[in-house]
Amino acid sequence: MSESILFLVTFIFYILAAFFYFSFFLLKRENLAKTGFSVAFMGLFIHTAALILRTVESGHAPFTNMYESLSFLAWSAILAYIIIEWKFRIRRAGPYFMLIVIGLMALASSPLMPKEASPLVPALQSYWLWLHVSVTLFGEAFFALAFITSIMYLVANSKEKKGKAKKSGISSVKLDSISYRCIAIGFPLFTLGGLVFGMIWAYYAWGSYWSWDPKEVWSLITWFVFALYLHTRIVMGWKGRRSAYIAIIGFLAALFTYFGVNYLLAGLHSYV
Amino acid sequence: MKSILKLFSSVKLVIVMLIIITCASILGTLIPQQRSNAEYAVRYGQLAGLFTRLQLTNLYHSWWFNGLLFLFSLNIIICTLTRLSPKFRRAFKPKLRFEAKSINSLKIKEKFRKNWNLSNTQEMLRKEFSTRHYHLREKKEGNRSFLLARKKTLGLFGSDIVHLGLLIILAGGIVSGLEGFRTDLTLFEGQVLPVPKADFQLRLDKFETEFYPDRSIRDWKSTLTVIKNEKALFSKIIEVNHPLSYQGFVFYQNSYGWDWKNPSLEIWVKKRSSPSFLRKLEFKVGQRTSLEEEDIQLIALYFLPDFVINDKNEISTRSNEPNNPAAFIEGWQGEQRIFSGWIFAKFPDFARIHSEKEMDLILELRDFKSSQFSVIQAAKDPGVNLIWVGCGFLMLGLALAFYWPTREIKVILEDSYGKTEVTAGGIASKNRDAFQSEFETIMNSLRRLK
Repeated sequence: MSESILFLVTFIFYILAAFFYFSFFLLKRENLAKTGFSVAFMGLFIHTAALILRTVESGHAPFTNMYESLSFLAWSAILAYIIIEWKFRIRRAGPYFMLIVIGLMALASSPLMPKEASPLVPALQSYWLWLHVSVTLFGEAFFALAFITSIMYLVANSKEKKGKAKKSGISSVKLDSISYRCIAIGFPLFTLGGLVFGMIWAYYAWGSYWSWDPKEVWSLITWFVFALYLHTRIVMGWKGRRSAYIAIIGFLAALFTYFGVNYLLAGLHSYV
Repeated sequence: MKSILKLFSSVKLVIVMLIIITCASILGTLIPQQRSNAEYAVRYGQLAGLFTRLQLTNLYHSWWFNGLLFLFSLNIIICTLTRLSPKFRRAFKPKLRFEAKSINSLKIKEKFRKNWNLSNTQEMLRKEFSTRHYHLREKKEGNRSFLLARKKTLGLFGSDIVHLGLLIILAGGIVSGLEGFRTDLTLFEGQVLPVPKADFQLRLDKFETEFYPDRSIRDWKSTLTVIKNEKALFSKIIEVNHPLSYQGFVFYQNSYGWDWKNPSLEIWVKKRSSPSFLRKLEFKVGQRTSLEEEDIQLIALYFLPDFVINDKNEISTRSNEPNNPAAFIEGWQGEQRIFSGWIFAKFPDFARIHSEKEMDLILELRDFKSSQFSVIQAAKDPGVNLIWVGCGFLMLGLALAFYWPTREIKVILEDSYGKTEVTAGGIASKNRDAFQSEFETIMNSLRRLK
């Protein structure tokens, strides 16, 4: 079976998972969320097989162009969701989060993304490719989760203020704490993969650990925004709405680092 | 002085600095950095001058941006230090005579009476805490005992270690900026060049480009030999991602190219009138060669690796890559030039030869050889070790701050007629649910014991 077929099957599983999650959202039956979770889990399995096959076929890490890295980001996002769902039981975030995953998969399968595996350019021939990209994207997946729970917080919070909150929903306090927990996982991962591994690799490949390349600067900006989140929260005691806004800005900065920099700003990081 | 210290010890200033530095960094990615003045003039018109004066075109190396980073470092140092001594006191010299009130204000707490006397209860708690790896401090005062149990104390200092790491990284950046230097060495095969600011030389033994089956580039490899006092010490093949390190210097495969000034050409001469006629000539650009039996001398005046002609009929080379190699050839008979024109390696039928008489000769540019050079970047960056140490502290601090949360349990035991009043409370900086269940287990096991 070829990698593209496996990718398609994965995509279908994720769409099905989203379908179950949305049915759960509308019909309020816990069973549907459980089914959605299992389907997403099966999707993750097939996706893993697709990524392994891609690695074997191309002979290099499965994130060297936009298609591959989007697919890998979707994989990380599902894995992150499964971890967070298993730890904190946030089924209600499922439908929204599956939308992000489907968005990533759709973008990856769009005709704008060249899918053929091309041989690795000299600068990417390093095991740092594995470490740098996978750890960074995995960290960003947790930022994506914090983004969703922060938006859910803002909605839940305004409903609670108006006295319209339903008993079945997650309390805004819990959402706020889950956002924080996601960032507490994502921030060290992003620091390690994006900044530390990035600097080490840059030193070996380009001869300088820091060149103020736009992608470097934007990952630093993302890092600053989450540092701001942590300091305002831990030292100054900010919580709730203000924290949620910073988490949302932080994810948008991460998204721009990942996407925007490649298409809008020129620099050394022209591969992905 | 005091007010400055107070200002720099405020977290609010940290937040403001973070926001300012973030905005400045964003600006630096929106304005392309370190381009030519002409490009800025085209891009920004009259604003270009202002941008250059404000150093927005070299923002990250500007005095004001580095000034901001300096103030920010100062801010981190003062913020961290002012909070450090109370933390040290809390960690290593805690006050053991705490009030019951301070326990009552905690979220995780418990109060009950134990049927044992005080010393037995205390002994039991000691055991319980030690099996759970708590470090215990005790104090007895009258009929009361104070117990302070704590574990993962290092977690208290996670954020300080992160800050230390950041400061070391910034210090590394300063050392790199002041002491570091990099320069390109252009080497032909066999050539030896002295390494600037070093007492050794570098020789390029071999340079080759490797290709994938689809002709895209797989790698560039340079075989380098380090020579010291006229002796070859060792050789190493360097490629992208695999530099050579020697005595604080690192040599990177940076670029490559051809020397097109003096290539050697192979030209085949044929005749329209006799298909069997073939002469293979090899000569360098600028050299005259006679075509035997024909009384014609050939000279190649120019060679271009990537021939291009514009609308104004101006000829130039598009790049230094041999994409469309072309040679300008002249044919002489005695003192008279009989033909001249361009011939192309990739388009033999497209030769543009001008001649007075009808040309019987056909000239083909079959091959060309020019020496290739490899560009090696020599870099010396004494700041880099500080960077790695700083990164280590940064990650250690993050791990401690997020995943090594300090747990602290305060207990007051009060003797009342042979029985013991137990007042206990706990604090954990993170992961409170897990801590609460541990706290409850300890208290329950104390209660249940007979």
